[in-house]
Amino acid sequence: MSAPVQAAAGQLTPRRRAAGPGGGRPRAGVSGRARGQGIGYYFILPAVVLFLVFIGYPLVRSIYQSFTEWPGFGPSKYVGLQNFTAMFHDPVFITALVNTIEFTAVTTIVSTFVAMVLAAVLRAKWLFGTVFRVAIFVPALLSLVVSGTVWGLIYEPNFGILDSFLNAVGLHSIAISWLSDSGTVLPALIVVAIWQSVGFYMLIFYAALHDIDPELYEAAQLDGASVVGQFRYVTVPMLRTVTSIIVTLNLINGMKIFDIIYVMTGGGPDNASQSLTTYLYSLAFGGQVAGAIPAIGYATAIGVMVLLLAIIIVAAQLAIGARRRLT
Amino acid sequence: MSSAGPSDNSAGPSVNAASSVSRRKFLGAAGLSAAAVGLAACSSGGGTGASGGKSTGKATLNMWSWYTEDQPVWASVIDEFHAKYPNIQVVPRTFGSLADYSPALEAAVSAGSAPDIFAPATLAISYGKAGIVLDLKSQLGSSFINEFFPSINQEYADGDKQYAIGWEAQMFRIFYNPDILKKAKVDFPETWDDLITASAQIRSKTGLAPVALNGNPSNNVADFYLPLVTQASNNPNLVYQLDNLSNGTSWNSQYPVEAFQMMQKLQQNQVFESGADAVTYDEALALFYTQKSAMLFFGSFIVPGLLTSASPAFNKLYKVGMTPSWTSGARHWGANQAGAGWSVNAQSPNVDAALEWLKFIYEPSRYATIMQKSSSMAATMTAAAEGSNPIVKEMASWITDNGCNHILFGVGSETAVGNAAAGVLGGKLTPTAAAAQTQSAVETARHA
Repeated sequence: MSAPVQAAAGQLTPRRRAAGPGGGRPRAGVSGRARGQGIGYYFILPAVVLFLVFIGYPLVRSIYQSFTEWPGFGPSKYVGLQNFTAMFHDPVFITALVNTIEFTAVTTIVSTFVAMVLAAVLRAKWLFGTVFRVAIFVPALLSLVVSGTVWGLIYEPNFGILDSFLNAVGLHSIAISWLSDSGTVLPALIVVAIWQSVGFYMLIFYAALHDIDPELYEAAQLDGASVVGQFRYVTVPMLRTVTSIIVTLNLINGMKIFDIIYVMTGGGPDNASQSLTTYLYSLAFGGQVAGAIPAIGYATAIGVMVLLLAIIIVAAQLAIGARRRLT
Repeated sequence: MSSAGPSDNSAGPSVNAASSVSRRKFLGAAGLSAAAVGLAACSSGGGTGASGGKSTGKATLNMWSWYTEDQPVWASVIDEFHAKYPNIQVVPRTFGSLADYSPALEAAVSAGSAPDIFAPATLAISYGKAGIVLDLKSQLGSSFINEFFPSINQEYADGDKQYAIGWEAQMFRIFYNPDILKKAKVDFPETWDDLITASAQIRSKTGLAPVALNGNPSNNVADFYLPLVTQASNNPNLVYQLDNLSNGTSWNSQYPVEAFQMMQKLQQNQVFESGADAVTYDEALALFYTQKSAMLFFGSFIVPGLLTSASPAFNKLYKVGMTPSWTSGARHWGANQAGAGWSVNAQSPNVDAALEWLKFIYEPSRYATIMQKSSSMAATMTAAAEGSNPIVKEMASWITDNGCNHILFGVGSETAVGNAAAGVLGGKLTPTAAAAQTQSAVETARHA
């Protein structure tokens, strides 16, 4: 730039300089971004502090606690990896782990599939369609404790409505004690969990269905696709992103399942419905058993294990989802 | 207008300061703030936590329990106490159940802010050994402690130390509906074999469940099973020896197996309702007071429960009988501990006030009145004899001669026994398998 041109540029008003493409605009941009960043930090500070107090510190403390032996009072004793190695020699932990995985797998697959089908079916202009949608969604509004209590009474073998109905229609052989049989207790709990959650997932699918271009269905129809074909080749692929989110939510909810089991069976009979979370709770707080001695260190180690499992499973699921999107 | 530019640049010092906030500085500030919040929360625990202070010249006694049956009684007792001790304020907090209470107490104890007085459940001795609760024998004197049933004191005693005193006693027995027994043309059974015979008749004549027993949670089945061990051995000390695995005892031995065999015999003869191992407390109670079962196995704490759940007519109707005996003429051993007592926080700034309060509520006539009003079984022998509820009074008369231990304190014992007993009750475990499973589970828990 020649000297006269520089001199001319120096005579520009400050306003012009600020608006100019050469020096003013970038300066104003840097200043604005810096100002925004600074103020932004102050805005998020309370949230960060709350996160550190209520999640960050407890998480770090829990990880430390998982390497100790501690009954909840007095000094804790550092025991290294002993709690983690003990888990794999603890038959109740193994049962709880298997139950948790089984519960998570079944609820994830069934909830996701049923919710998607229900959403697709109810998207059609059915008579009383809104009533059905609301009816299916209502269980999601109930607390898990309420659902568990109500279903406990439904399954009750002496006066519960399910066995009373089965007996009334002559199906005496399957009018069994659902919650006291180790073979039926987990499926019985899974039914409750699906009943509770499917309406919520259906609502998410239902909302996502409205974003699918109707022309895709018209094109499929022109190509001769049946209703099932349209569902298989249009609806399912177009809902892939939402499905991924719902599968993730199901996986997380399955891994941390507690309320329904705690209320309905307490993990029984003989640990047949014990999950990792109900087991760690019973170890830490005695659960519903009066004579239990707290084992906070071991319970925390199980909690850390649940966290690791959840991270691994969800990360794997997200990785698979990402790979599918790329292909 | 001309000032627009300069004012942007200088918007002054605050903008410059803000823009100088780096990520590192921000995280440092957040960490410091979090630490400050945490420290503030911790420091407030000492002064205004569960353990009350004296900052206003008054001592505030916080008292925690899950004894819901006493809730209506406290207000008048506290008023009376406050009239005598105006500088001591008592604040009772009653949780809905032991399951709700245990986590709250454990959290308070681990945070060093346990209430001044609290129900220690099964942890009194552990807390005492850790210096968390006082030895009440040294504080209140032996004569005070000796007023209680020995079986109640035993729950909280370690050697010569008494880390809690009983609030309620208990006796597990069989409650029955005389109308249903009459309809089935059976008498209340004396032995377990009599019960099996009566059960067959109750089922055939009335179609009802003979005995309601709740196996969910499984520790209630342990309440049923453990006295059977005492009955089989006729040794009231055996259960505690098993709990401690002392004197060479093992759960996988003769008497525990015989007790499981008796449970299996009862289960196979359909003495209990369907799916008893999954039936909850509320469901078993409902079976009995809705007259769908002829009998109910439970502790005396069910009496206040029936007063609130069942109709007045039913409360006049039902009766209680001795637990059937092993053989005719043998003792009718039944579980006689309650787990309901009071400990005093050794770190409380109000220890003297707490002890005054305990002396006040245990004054014989006042304590007897409290127990009568809540229809509970008194833990002192004198007050128990004065009980006004005829069912509770009758049950209290059996504590000393026919009572035996049923609360296990050893690591893993209660859970192991409960699960195995529930397995037998559900027909899924044989007696020998249940005994072996119990021993194995206890050993695993103690070596974990």
